[in-house]
Amino acid sequence: MTEAVLTPTASGARRLGEDGLAVIVGVGVLILALVSLAGPDLLGWAVTTSVWTDPAKALGAVSKAYADLGGAGALATTYVALLVVLSAGVAALGAEARNFAVAFTVVFVIAYASWFVGSWAHIAAVTPADQAKFGVSWSLRLTNEGGYIVALIAGLVVANAFPRFADWLKEAIRPELYIKIAIVLLGAFIAVTAAGKLTLASSLLLRGVAAIVEAYLIYWAVVYFIARKWFGFSREWAAPLASGVSICGVAAAIATGGAIRARPQVPVLVSSLVVVFAVVEVLILPFLAQTFLSSQPLVAAAWIGLAVKTDGAAVAAGGITESLVLAKAAAEGINYQPGWLIAVTTTVKVFIDVFIGVWAFILAYIWTNHINVKPDAEKAKLSEIWARFPKFVLGFIVTFVAGLALALGGAGPKLAAAVGEANTFRVIFFILTFFSIGVLTDFRKLWREGLGKLAAVYLVSLFGFVIWVGLIISWLFFAGVKPPLVG
Amino acid sequence: MSEHELRDELKSPAEPLLPIEKKLIGWSLGIGVALLVLLAIINHFLPVS
Repeated sequence: MTEAVLTPTASGARRLGEDGLAVIVGVGVLILALVSLAGPDLLGWAVTTSVWTDPAKALGAVSKAYADLGGAGALATTYVALLVVLSAGVAALGAEARNFAVAFTVVFVIAYASWFVGSWAHIAAVTPADQAKFGVSWSLRLTNEGGYIVALIAGLVVANAFPRFADWLKEAIRPELYIKIAIVLLGAFIAVTAAGKLTLASSLLLRGVAAIVEAYLIYWAVVYFIARKWFGFSREWAAPLASGVSICGVAAAIATGGAIRARPQVPVLVSSLVVVFAVVEVLILPFLAQTFLSSQPLVAAAWIGLAVKTDGAAVAAGGITESLVLAKAAAEGINYQPGWLIAVTTTVKVFIDVFIGVWAFILAYIWTNHINVKPDAEKAKLSEIWARFPKFVLGFIVTFVAGLALALGGAGPKLAAAVGEANTFRVIFFILTFFSIGVLTDFRKLWREGLGKLAAVYLVSLFGFVIWVGLIISWLFFAGVKPPLVG
Repeated sequence: MSEHELRDELKSPAEPLLPIEKKLIGWSLGIGVALLVLLAIINHFLPVS
């Protein structure tokens, strides 16, 4: 079983390029942050936003060593640094750096302004004590990570009300790149969090294996059956659709399309649906998790990882869920350590990602040997599994192992501070991801003639099956497991 | 692919499920359920510390 037809697509090649860039940027940021363990603080100028009532006091540098920069100085420095690094990066991918720089400037301004608005006390303050502290009588209680929702809504407004403007921004609308950099940075953050409770962390990793089984063997088979039997889709449409709904959205749909030699338009159309539904999930599921699962925080986190498709939407939704669930628990007097929920969501998602190449190979083998048998078909080898392996996962592993080794080696509070500085950039890449996902979400596509039937399969599978089975499995494996308490 | 082509294509007659597709669905579900049961047993006997 060593030969099968697999045709790497142009988009697949580009994705691999983005993976490499994500690893370089993410690991580079972490290395610069870790230099502070030996003395100089190289990243302390990164901008951070506090919950505010006086906008003049909202922004500041993450390190006190750079307090003289002021909020505006920190913001400008952060923007210039990201502009230079990312422009050079996309130029290396073959894009036009000047076009990217212009579009990125606008994207950064709108995205960070959304984050700034989301940190307003009337939006972010959570507990009555917070409200008293900031002198506000009411609040939406979204935590300061409600800024992600604001950024997403800003992107949706741009995409649906100003489509020509959205098109003009497209060079800098790169949610996959931004979230992959963020996930690489998350590796070190999760390691430092896990190092304090290594036994708990390893137990959670073991339970993450259930996610792989569920996504590939349960979800895929059921969605494929629904698409073929109930909705009458051809194999060419049903397979990418099943992968898009079940596995990891865009990447899985494209990998499957390549594996079964679908026409390029098929996975692209499926991917556009994946993004639209992922946004709907991000806007709904974290709030459902807060309402119904706050007593089971890790069930909520695993559920988000299993239910929300695309890496960007899932990991970002995990961040929002953590904020909302922890805020509700804090209001009830329970203070969980931050980091554990997003660690579970990310682990579930990364575990699922890792097997995309293997699944694509299995489908390619079945299609070329049993469904579309052509004696003169181009043959590929097992090496395609590696070709389709999401390389940014290697960056995640590198930063995780480095962070864990340093934490277990006794680097202590200095390491936490260094990783905290790197985490500031993770937050910024999350904001860029949310805004970019919004800009890519054109709801008018759902009204496009013909797509309604595809959307119906997605709707029935996602809301009738995927999120409920995901909830049951998450409950089965994570119920009763709580994150450690602060202190 | 134009809207017209897409509409026509998605309205085309359904292809019946081949035996190999039924095998793929059946084996996936069978192995998946078996592995989940196995993991649930491991989960039961190795509780989170």
